[in-house]
Amino acid sequence: MRALFVLVLLSLSGCATVAPEQRAILADPTMQFDAEGKHEAPLRHALENREGSMGGTGVQGGGCGCN
Amino acid sequence: MQLTTRSSLLGALLVAAVLAVAGRAGAQVLQLDTGHTVFYEAPTKTHMLVYSPSADVQVSPWSWIDVRGGWEADVVSGASVATKAGGVYGAAHNADVVTAASVHDFRNVGHGEIELKGNTTSLVAGYSYGTEHDYVSNSMHVSARTDAFQHNTQFELAYAHNWDKVCDLVQDVARANQPSLWQALPNSAGCFTSDPTRTTHDLAVDTYEASWAQSWSPVVETQLTYSAQLVDGFQSDPYRSVIIGEGIKAQEHVPTDRAREAVTARGAYYLRSIKAALRFSLRGYHDTWAINSGTAEAEFEKSFGENVRLMARLRGYRQNGAVFWSDDYFGGAPPLGQKGQYFTGDRELSPFWSALGGLRAVWSVQPADHRIFGFIHDFKLAGSGSMQWFSYDEYTLAGTPVANTFAYVGTVSLTLGF
Repeated sequence: MRALFVLVLLSLSGCATVAPEQRAILADPTMQFDAEGKHEAPLRHALENREGSMGGTGVQGGGCGCN
Repeated sequence: MQLTTRSSLLGALLVAAVLAVAGRAGAQVLQLDTGHTVFYEAPTKTHMLVYSPSADVQVSPWSWIDVRGGWEADVVSGASVATKAGGVYGAAHNADVVTAASVHDFRNVGHGEIELKGNTTSLVAGYSYGTEHDYVSNSMHVSARTDAFQHNTQFELAYAHNWDKVCDLVQDVARANQPSLWQALPNSAGCFTSDPTRTTHDLAVDTYEASWAQSWSPVVETQLTYSAQLVDGFQSDPYRSVIIGEGIKAQEHVPTDRAREAVTARGAYYLRSIKAALRFSLRGYHDTWAINSGTAEAEFEKSFGENVRLMARLRGYRQNGAVFWSDDYFGGAPPLGQKGQYFTGDRELSPFWSALGGLRAVWSVQPADHRIFGFIHDFKLAGSGSMQWFSYDEYTLAGTPVANTFAYVGTVSLTLGF
């Protein structure tokens, strides 16, 4: 936990590590973690119902759909 | 008829107004999405086919607000385990003690959401309502996100609350305090009606999530997410029975409280030389039913020209079983036998591991200087397919291991912006 705290502080005190004009690649869809989040949602829903775990992919949900 | 005509006229006027604004503004103000997913599996004794269509609309009348609404459904057909027994009982009797029952359900979920956007912050609030033959769900969610340090750092907090209802069989008054004598719900007929043989149980779910994303260099991005969930209420499968003794078949019975938490670390690295990205994800999970699990996932996505992306995914998953899970509550040497007051036939609570492989293709077009056919700002067509394989350490059907443990998921989706 202490290491995590130090890591967060370092990242914040380090301020901007990437200048705005260098962000072209970071803005590319291939670099987005959830660029196709809506498309992937049914697969995540199936995984949550076939496994005993959750987490890491957002908080939204509705209904059970757990047959 | 008059109402229908009036609604159609209003709808046409709304679309025309939005398209007119879109044309004038030169920016996307209306987005339509539709997706179609098929899930299929056919392990020993059971099978499941689920078709899930969805339709969503997003309106962005001004740059600072998005309003979204949509519908999704699950059309379920198959057969699931109705009575679960383990190897000891199966050897003493016969494998036919394990029975399957047909499953037909139709889940409908309608949802709405509003997002307020600033230069560096956004706020989201939404609500969804879902119905099934045996389940009703109400859910609200809120989230807040902010960027800092020239968008190199993002923090997001999210919360959701579900207040759901589950249908069940009314138990005999004399058995009300004896779960080992409870009977399973035979079918969903009469659920959410005045049928005196049916009742409902509450289920409340609170989900919390906090995430921190950080850009470390022009080609490296990471995200750390903590998720927690508190579940309070009826969590058993009301249809499933478990053989827990000689001649004793009872509706499965699991704790009404469950606290779950997970930490997920994700990273993305861009390979300039081949114009592709490598993404990874590691997740650790723990809950108060003593399930611990780990998930590792890697994705490789490459762009082909300006419009096409192909992605390949590999995923591995491992969990131990819930502390009260046993393959045979009838008896036997450890790890078989009773595990306290609870009993379940849920294979998702047993120890197992799984592997998944998948591919996804995305074709997206967004012309900079004109609209497609004069009115489409952009479009995106995506298709994906995944295959998952399960290996169960202890779960059997009266001693018979489950074979053909493959599950297939395929999705196509189309997004149009106007």
